[in-house]
Amino acid sequence: MSNFSSIAFYLPELLLVLTILAVIVVDLIPGLKRFNWIIALAGIVFTGVLLYGDSGVSESLYLGTIASDPFAYFFKWIFLIAGFFTILVSRHTHALRGADLPEYNALLLIVVFGLFLMASATNLVTVYLGMIETVSLPSYVLAGILKNDRKSNEASLKYVIFGAFSSGLMVYGFSWLYGLTGSMSLSGIQQGLAGVQEPLALYMAILLVLAGFGYKISMVPFHFWTPDVYEGSPTPITGFLSVAPKAAGFAILMRFFYSVFTTNSLTTIAGVDWLTLIALLSAVTMTFGNLIALQQENVKRMLAFSSIAHAGYMLMALSILSPDAIKAVMVYLTMYLFMNMGAFFMVIFAENQLNAHTLEDWKGLGRKAPFLGALMVILMMSLTGLPPSAGFVGKLYLFAVVIASKKFYWLAIVGVLNSVVSLFYYFRIVKAMWLFSPADPKPVKADSVIGLSILLFTIPALLLGIYWTPIINLIDKSIGF
Amino acid sequence: MTPTLMFALAILFLPLLSFAFQIFFGSKIGRAAHWFSLAALGVTLSLALSFFANIFITPGYALLDVSAVWFSSGSFTVELGIYIDNIAAVMLVVVSTISFLVHIYSTEYMRGDPRYTRYFGYLGLFTFSMNGIVLANSLLMMYVFWELVGISSYLLIGFWFEKQSAASAGMKAFLTNRVGDIGMFIGILLLFMQLGTFNIQAIAEQVEFGAFDGTGLLLTIAGIMVFMGAIGKSAQFPLHIWLPDAMEGPTPVSALIHAATMVAAGVYMTVRIFAFLTPAALEFVAVIGGITALMAAIIAITQVDIKRVLAYSTVSQLGYMVMALGVGAFQAGFFHLTTHAMFKACLFLASGSVIHSMHHALHKIDDHSTDPQDMRNMGGLRKKMPITYISMVVASLSISGIPFFTGFLSKDAILAGTLAYYHLHHGWTIFLPISGFGAAIITAFYMFRLIFMTFHGEPARKDIHEHLHETPGAMTTPLIILSVLSLAFVFTIPSTVNPFNSQGWFTSAIHTGENFAGLDMEVVGEALHHAHEPAMMISLTVAALGILAALLFYLFKVVDVEKLTRRVNKLGLYNLSFHKFYIDEIYDAVLYRPFFWYTKVVAKFDWELYDQKFIDWWGWLTLKISDWSGYSDYTWLDQKVVDGFGKATRYFGKELRLSQSGVIQNYILGGVIGILSIFILFQAF
Amino acid sequence: MAEVAFIIIAAITLASAFFVVFSSNLMYSGVALFFTLFGVAGLYVFLYADFLAATQIMVYVGGIMVLILFGIMLTNKIASTDLRQANRGRFMAGLSAFILFLLISAIAVTTQWHTGSPQFLDTTVAKLGMMILYQYLLPFEVASILLLAALIGAALLSRKK
Repeated sequence: MSNFSSIAFYLPELLLVLTILAVIVVDLIPGLKRFNWIIALAGIVFTGVLLYGDSGVSESLYLGTIASDPFAYFFKWIFLIAGFFTILVSRHTHALRGADLPEYNALLLIVVFGLFLMASATNLVTVYLGMIETVSLPSYVLAGILKNDRKSNEASLKYVIFGAFSSGLMVYGFSWLYGLTGSMSLSGIQQGLAGVQEPLALYMAILLVLAGFGYKISMVPFHFWTPDVYEGSPTPITGFLSVAPKAAGFAILMRFFYSVFTTNSLTTIAGVDWLTLIALLSAVTMTFGNLIALQQENVKRMLAFSSIAHAGYMLMALSILSPDAIKAVMVYLTMYLFMNMGAFFMVIFAENQLNAHTLEDWKGLGRKAPFLGALMVILMMSLTGLPPSAGFVGKLYLFAVVIASKKFYWLAIVGVLNSVVSLFYYFRIVKAMWLFSPADPKPVKADSVIGLSILLFTIPALLLGIYWTPIINLIDKSIGF
Repeated sequence: MTPTLMFALAILFLPLLSFAFQIFFGSKIGRAAHWFSLAALGVTLSLALSFFANIFITPGYALLDVSAVWFSSGSFTVELGIYIDNIAAVMLVVVSTISFLVHIYSTEYMRGDPRYTRYFGYLGLFTFSMNGIVLANSLLMMYVFWELVGISSYLLIGFWFEKQSAASAGMKAFLTNRVGDIGMFIGILLLFMQLGTFNIQAIAEQVEFGAFDGTGLLLTIAGIMVFMGAIGKSAQFPLHIWLPDAMEGPTPVSALIHAATMVAAGVYMTVRIFAFLTPAALEFVAVIGGITALMAAIIAITQVDIKRVLAYSTVSQLGYMVMALGVGAFQAGFFHLTTHAMFKACLFLASGSVIHSMHHALHKIDDHSTDPQDMRNMGGLRKKMPITYISMVVASLSISGIPFFTGFLSKDAILAGTLAYYHLHHGWTIFLPISGFGAAIITAFYMFRLIFMTFHGEPARKDIHEHLHETPGAMTTPLIILSVLSLAFVFTIPSTVNPFNSQGWFTSAIHTGENFAGLDMEVVGEALHHAHEPAMMISLTVAALGILAALLFYLFKVVDVEKLTRRVNKLGLYNLSFHKFYIDEIYDAVLYRPFFWYTKVVAKFDWELYDQKFIDWWGWLTLKISDWSGYSDYTWLDQKVVDGFGKATRYFGKELRLSQSGVIQNYILGGVIGILSIFILFQAF
Repeated sequence: MAEVAFIIIAAITLASAFFVVFSSNLMYSGVALFFTLFGVAGLYVFLYADFLAATQIMVYVGGIMVLILFGIMLTNKIASTDLRQANRGRFMAGLSAFILFLLISAIAVTTQWHTGSPQFLDTTVAKLGMMILYQYLLPFEVASILLLAALIGAALLSRKK
């Protein structure tokens, strides 16, 4: 579709840009300064309204640089929900009290905009621009927004350096793909590859591209930055980073591999079964994430490692890469959005009210705040994947796909064993919360917004474990590229 | 929707409704809220009885068999369904009877508890999950409810979570169960992989038509894996460790979940999958049951906490049921499940009645240090609590296998089964009857030890004794009902009132079991028939011996127990039993610690091995290469290699010390080496 | 002739780039970067990308480089401090990077790349203009948002609080 007529399908993104500008401008007007977060939230809500109008659209926009299709549509909702609650909760995070919230909100909205681009990119230029630049660059700043906190500074710097490293590799890989096929668009590459007889170069290119994508979803061996950045960043940002960019990373990974390779039925490249490669990486990723999480004493760091493990679970389905597998990853991401962000909200609550960071500090939290403590148990159950919780349904779909493909039985077994391991560290949190008497038994009350956010994310974490047909219906419709 | 289906759904969801009601409105209404739960459970019970009545009206196996698509994902469809046959109907009655009686009992037992209504809510949730297991027609659905049972039992066991031991007991039960559940999950997936269905009936059918051909090894593995779930839930060796600790929960809860329902779920599941367990898998099942039955009975002898005795007794009886299924005595196993549910619930509730009374007495004399559950503080309660006493004696006679009581009928059948199995297989299988009869004599002994220590003799503490009194009607009525249900004629009328004949409505309603995986049930039935008489003789003798020993030891005090204990303990036997064969300690040393050590090693592996060792290895390689290729001067090389080695070691040490985790350069190096390794690894193969 | 020129320019680019990375004086590094960017501009010329080469010189050499140098000179503390290299794993890093380099170049040299027929344009400006404002309009516009983010980020991090 031509540039001009594409605008009609690009309204949500345009509104986001407008919101970004409004947030910045309002910051300059003394009397209106404190409304910037309302503007940011309202912007997201109205973006959602406009986005709703895009439902069912499947168009290639701006001369094929991006697409507005059901697949992107689905992911955009995840980004909006994550963005909305991150902004909402950040305002009530004590650690962020001294920070510049207007800029913070603007940067967060820019990230959301970048994520939109990532999910809908169909051209190497937009993939790069959305993924590495528009998402990563503001994220670096957001990770280091606590200027007086050394850990936050360190997180930011490490994020920048590792990000530069992997995006460099990825762009280099893109140049190889272009060199092999003479095209920048995914469909062009797919057609171009049909006649390419250069297995080694193609394999190298995929590996390099995988370095970039792997960095976004924290896949071993590109996961090294994750724990440090997650631990150092302000907690709302950590929660956001662990869900939204990861979802976008999977979106682009699936779109890229599915539209470039599977239609060519290139299951082996250079004699290399790259699906087996992904299966192997998946097994390594989840095992590393889980086993190391087991050793952590800092709750945030533990959740960081566990998020590596979750990436591993989702990669499991990617090693099948059938429409069913993509569906399974999308189901899992939906469940993961709720349970993981809910858990991070709980971390914010603990930091706010008790300045609790380690498991030691968390001891007796359940007795001090029984209701939230009970919600946390549900979230942990869900993250472990116990029925009847959203996490179980997510895992069920992943395992079902792996088993149904009859290809990687060993992977399913590794996955099941890994969820047992994860039980032990998730329940270390539960144990700390409920099995110890608090030093100071005085009950604590959460900030109402934080408490409500935890509740709002726990309900789906439980409910979707019992009745998930609506999600499946939505995803069924969202499978078109 | 047919009325039958509606009834079945009501049985399933009424308890859930009770849960929701108590959670949302309970605390506002207060004590009166229990009427709602009682009503819900009452209706559940009557509906369950209506299915039960159907057994007699329309004999035939499936009373209800419906299923609907739960969700489908491409080629993969999972159905949700209800399947009720005679077995399920009997089980439903068992579950809802016990649950209903426990509800009544709890109105008194839990009086004044600050979370009174929530307690009833949890009971409802538990009953819901348990009914779900009973009604499930597929292994997947069963698994889901299986986990729900785990969670609700966690809530109930840890109900008094202010008490440290209660909270950790809940956790222990939950985590131990998970170990078994993982096996079950893998087993279910194995079956699904092979047969493409979760439906139990369908699996059995496919096995019947030879879905697993050849040696059946895979089917054996799958069967054992699924059975792992039962090992966890039904507290079989080696995962039995959670059940005694779970006694920290309120006593009515123990009666509900540790006598009749949750622990029986494992046996029930084994009953359900019996049709496709191969002879090899059944052998495994039998051995596990045999070990459990004997070991738990031995532990029970030396326990002094009244509830712990009952807990180990439960483990032991569950071992019997599992063993029964393992030797092919299908009917006997399920029969014992039913009878045991009644008399063990009675025992637990009676012990609760004693504890309740003790508790009040202690409260009156302002004594907060004495343990109300320790039998050494009791004695002579017979006159003060006659109803409790009589019902406990009835239940004890039943569990000991005395004629006229239900325990005799079912236990006898199991013992006959073990004897029959030995006749068929010979060799090591002699272990099974030995374990069965051994456990029988011990059971009789420790049960009457319990009775005599608690109810007979002189009161151990006069001050407490004065304040003891019989518990109110809400607590004694369930005791009376349950002790009546422990009488043999309940299961045999109207066909016979002969106490030695177990042929009654139960045996005609529950078939003798089908097996499609290679076990010839006719041969088993024949052997069972022959083993019946000798088994009865021996079992009567051993039961009498056990009671006699208890009489001599604890009532007439002919034998000095202290002295005997000391003598036996010369070999460490008493301690071995008292410390439960040291299994918790063994797990600590063999499992928990090594596992945490292992994860530490792996955590190190990431940073130290991968990040540093592996990377250092490259450094070492560089040194080597430069040594080899750069210079050819022999003497120089000689020197360099010799002291270069020392140098290199020092270098590594420094390297290790200097680079802590968190060095970004190493991260990037890790990434590069990662790419190289992947490239080479996959290119090489 | 052109080959000799190419080798010289490439050598200058690489050598100065090495210097940027390994010099312990920030000032020297900055000056060396000047040559690197210049060299890259030279490489663009060899690729017939005249406009790009000119832009490279104007934007990077004329603008960004001067800013960087000003920045170094104005914050005199930075100019005088000796940068300590924390690259403890030089050996391994060097070796693995070298192996990766060898691997990549070996593959690159042996690969039959996709080549279009060479077109010699008088000037690439018109073509680039079409590309930026027509074919890649969206990325071009998105880049402005990216720059906005960079601006906000820079302001945020440098602001005193």
